[in-house]
Amino acid sequence: MASLSLKKITAVWIYTILILFVLAILMGITMRFTQGKTISVSPIEFYLLMTTHGVTMIGIWAAAGIVAVNYLLARYIKVSTSLNVFALVFTVISILMLWASTFIGKFHAGWTFLYPLPFHIAWETWATPMFLWSLMVLSVSWFIWTLGSMVQILKKYSLRQSFAIQHISKKSPSVETPPLVLISMVSLLGMVVCFIAAIILLALLLAEYYSAGKFVNDPLLIKNLTFFFGHTIANEALYLGLATLYELLPEVSGRPKFKTTWYVALGWNCAIIFILGAFFHHLYMDFVQPKGFQIFGQIASYFATIPSVVVTIISIVTLLYNNKIKWSLVNLLFFIGLMGWIIGGIGAVIDATISNNIILHNTLWVPAHFHTYNVMGNVLFSLAFFVWVANEFSDNNDLQKYNKLVMPLLMVGGFGFVLMFYWAGAYSVPRRFAMYPSELSSGTALASAAAWFACIYLVGVLLVLFDVLKKCAKVFSSSSH
Amino acid sequence: MRKSFFFFIALVVFSNVVLCNTNGLYSFSEEEKLFKPIANIEIATAEGEISLSDLYDKSPIILVLVFTRCTGICSPLLSNVKENIRQQQTNEKYKVLVLSFDSSDSISGMLQLAKRYNLDEDKQWIFATTDRIEALNASVGFNPVWDSTSQQFDHEALVVGVNGNGYIVKKLNGLRASSDFRSLIKEINSEFVLSYPLPRKNMLFSCFTYDPATGKKKISVGMLVMLLPVVLTLLVVAGLATIKRKPNE
Amino acid sequence: MEEHKFILFLFLSAAVLVAGIFHFLYSTTLNPPSESEGLQNPLKKRGFVLVFMFIVFVVLLFVTVPKSPYFLFSNETPAKVVYVNAQQFAYMMSYKSIDLNKPEIETDVELPLNEPVEFRVTSVDVTHGFGIYNSKAELLIQTQAMPGYVNRLRWKFTEPGKYNILCLEFCGSGHAVMRSSFTVK
Repeated sequence: MASLSLKKITAVWIYTILILFVLAILMGITMRFTQGKTISVSPIEFYLLMTTHGVTMIGIWAAAGIVAVNYLLARYIKVSTSLNVFALVFTVISILMLWASTFIGKFHAGWTFLYPLPFHIAWETWATPMFLWSLMVLSVSWFIWTLGSMVQILKKYSLRQSFAIQHISKKSPSVETPPLVLISMVSLLGMVVCFIAAIILLALLLAEYYSAGKFVNDPLLIKNLTFFFGHTIANEALYLGLATLYELLPEVSGRPKFKTTWYVALGWNCAIIFILGAFFHHLYMDFVQPKGFQIFGQIASYFATIPSVVVTIISIVTLLYNNKIKWSLVNLLFFIGLMGWIIGGIGAVIDATISNNIILHNTLWVPAHFHTYNVMGNVLFSLAFFVWVANEFSDNNDLQKYNKLVMPLLMVGGFGFVLMFYWAGAYSVPRRFAMYPSELSSGTALASAAAWFACIYLVGVLLVLFDVLKKCAKVFSSSSH
Repeated sequence: MRKSFFFFIALVVFSNVVLCNTNGLYSFSEEEKLFKPIANIEIATAEGEISLSDLYDKSPIILVLVFTRCTGICSPLLSNVKENIRQQQTNEKYKVLVLSFDSSDSISGMLQLAKRYNLDEDKQWIFATTDRIEALNASVGFNPVWDSTSQQFDHEALVVGVNGNGYIVKKLNGLRASSDFRSLIKEINSEFVLSYPLPRKNMLFSCFTYDPATGKKKISVGMLVMLLPVVLTLLVVAGLATIKRKPNE
Repeated sequence: MEEHKFILFLFLSAAVLVAGIFHFLYSTTLNPPSESEGLQNPLKKRGFVLVFMFIVFVVLLFVTVPKSPYFLFSNETPAKVVYVNAQQFAYMMSYKSIDLNKPEIETDVELPLNEPVEFRVTSVDVTHGFGIYNSKAELLIQTQAMPGYVNRLRWKFTEPGKYNILCLEFCGSGHAVMRSSFTVK
């Protein structure tokens, strides 16, 4: 079980994540209102908001996943509190460096910082190394964090057991691997790969920066590495959210715990390989990439969905279908999150088809699908964990009085918000435009509507946030648990 | 494990900084005159006067521009072209036309040059001179400059690919790798090459080199960098496997 | 172009279907029949869904991969070639290769109707996009403009009129105003 110190650091993490979340949502709303011409923000300010919004969101939800599985893993293994403290300290440092590079240094090369844009300096000269170093600090500290989390698991389970290999070969093995351990292990391994990719990427970029023109990188290689890192971290963050779903959804729904079976084990192990190949779909429009890679990208993107989605969906159907469920905010968030994840996945599969990508690539379809499985997927998984853990901290399982409002607000706001993206994307409105040209004025109207939907979503988030923060505060006043 | 990891990173960064020391933009000179028709001039060959169109109507041409008095790049260029053509094992038909751009060259001088390279018997190779070299130079974007002190032309080592319709489809500047020649041969035979890199010097970690012989891209050093995260992770996992367990805790 | 509407329609139908399934699943948990034991034979059903999705994906792959842009008009000789050098925040276009020291820029690019044309797209600074929009502001086709590489995009325009080019890769503060156009006659 989670120690008091682990509870405290988890509470601090939740505070950090939720506050950064609200700030990042406000940045997003500002951007959409700017595109909708409701307010006026200069392009440089728009793009520095876009850069900050992107890195912050990716960062906090990946962190939320790691924090949640660390907390829940304490049921099975000994979890290191100091590792989580270490990660928090360096995450905060890196976020401060990042915000300094964008808000003070005006760095605005986007969260993908696509080479060679960071070196075509249109901001304070120190902002480029500051941005790169902030990500380096984050990557190195999180590499240690994720690796350390794996080490914790491996102190109890063998490598084979942690990936549930014994479930594939035997029907009822002597050591059972809980799904939480399996999925955490798979996702953490993916994160280790992507942080190594990030460190190599940042080392190459910093080498170019400090070589003062003596060394230049290959834009194609850097783009591959960028999305190896960028795609994978977003994807693995989502899987960590699923790990918490596997652990908590049956429990809060009053149903028997999920067990690892051979197909669960096989499905998640297959997911590792497909996920690492799926990032190629970010380079479909780079004709210099070999055709074999492009087609592999489409195959990997398609088949990456089969193990995780099919296994998870059927597990959930088995769990819920024709069974009396006591619905609360926690399992509703998981349930709707799963729906959002699948809908976003459909958008992703459509975009990952090369013959569609030619008209969808870098249109608003792209933020449409990834916002769907974040805003209406992973975020809801993490919020579910936050609400659950806050209830645990406060021994208070009562639905607070606004809870009936939360789901409608999140659903209307969230789905409305992403629908505006899909609509605009299908009609060729480009992404990352601070303002739309006159012939694409539909983008302007849709942006404004999206911003209002996002405001509705924000109200829902704030209701959850106040409740969670209030309950989390109790953990600091308790001396033992 | 962490040590070896940082060692890898240090190695990558170090080798970058040490090996790459040229200043790098891309050269666009090879792009000039592409998809323009080559001047259809008359040339003098061992078998008499013909026009260029007589040649390219039958098969595409690789045009190599040299002069016999050249003490500079011409000789290495011819060796380079000969060696690279010899290595090609493709079925495409094409002729290699070695044309003098020096008006004082004679056909007999060119044939002697052919003999020196053991190419006089080779039906694929044609050595020729022309009276209308200015027209040809203009059409391919080739600008040799006579230097009277050295009694030599200052000129580029230029190879021009001409397709069956007489259009310039690809140019190679300087001494080039075999893969560039394969790409050239594909293009003059009207095979679509979706993308190609511009010449550059200081890029150590490029991902792929296009290999038209197989229609695939060959993996080069950069690809190894791309695989590095996976390889390092496998090493990390191997390291993790050695962790001592306390299953009964 | 119907393709754009079709994609949105396809997605929305699938999304509504998923929402419907979730709603149905939710409704079965509210007042399940008392003798109900939940889902029967979950393992068999899971196997069925797996095989079904596998088949759907394989069929989709066989249908869509040959339509990839990489194979477009690859056997035809372009009637016209346009060189495109993208730079922050404009496009240099020319019928000739662009010499950066003395660029000869074509301001009114005209392209033939119903004949294959080729764009040779590269960039002189950062990575840009090259998206071609028709007069109805629908994106027809695109490629990336990556420094150091020339991407060859072939297309056959079947409608006369003015076409716009928008940058589809974030390239800095002027990204949204980076554009150009050409005419098809």
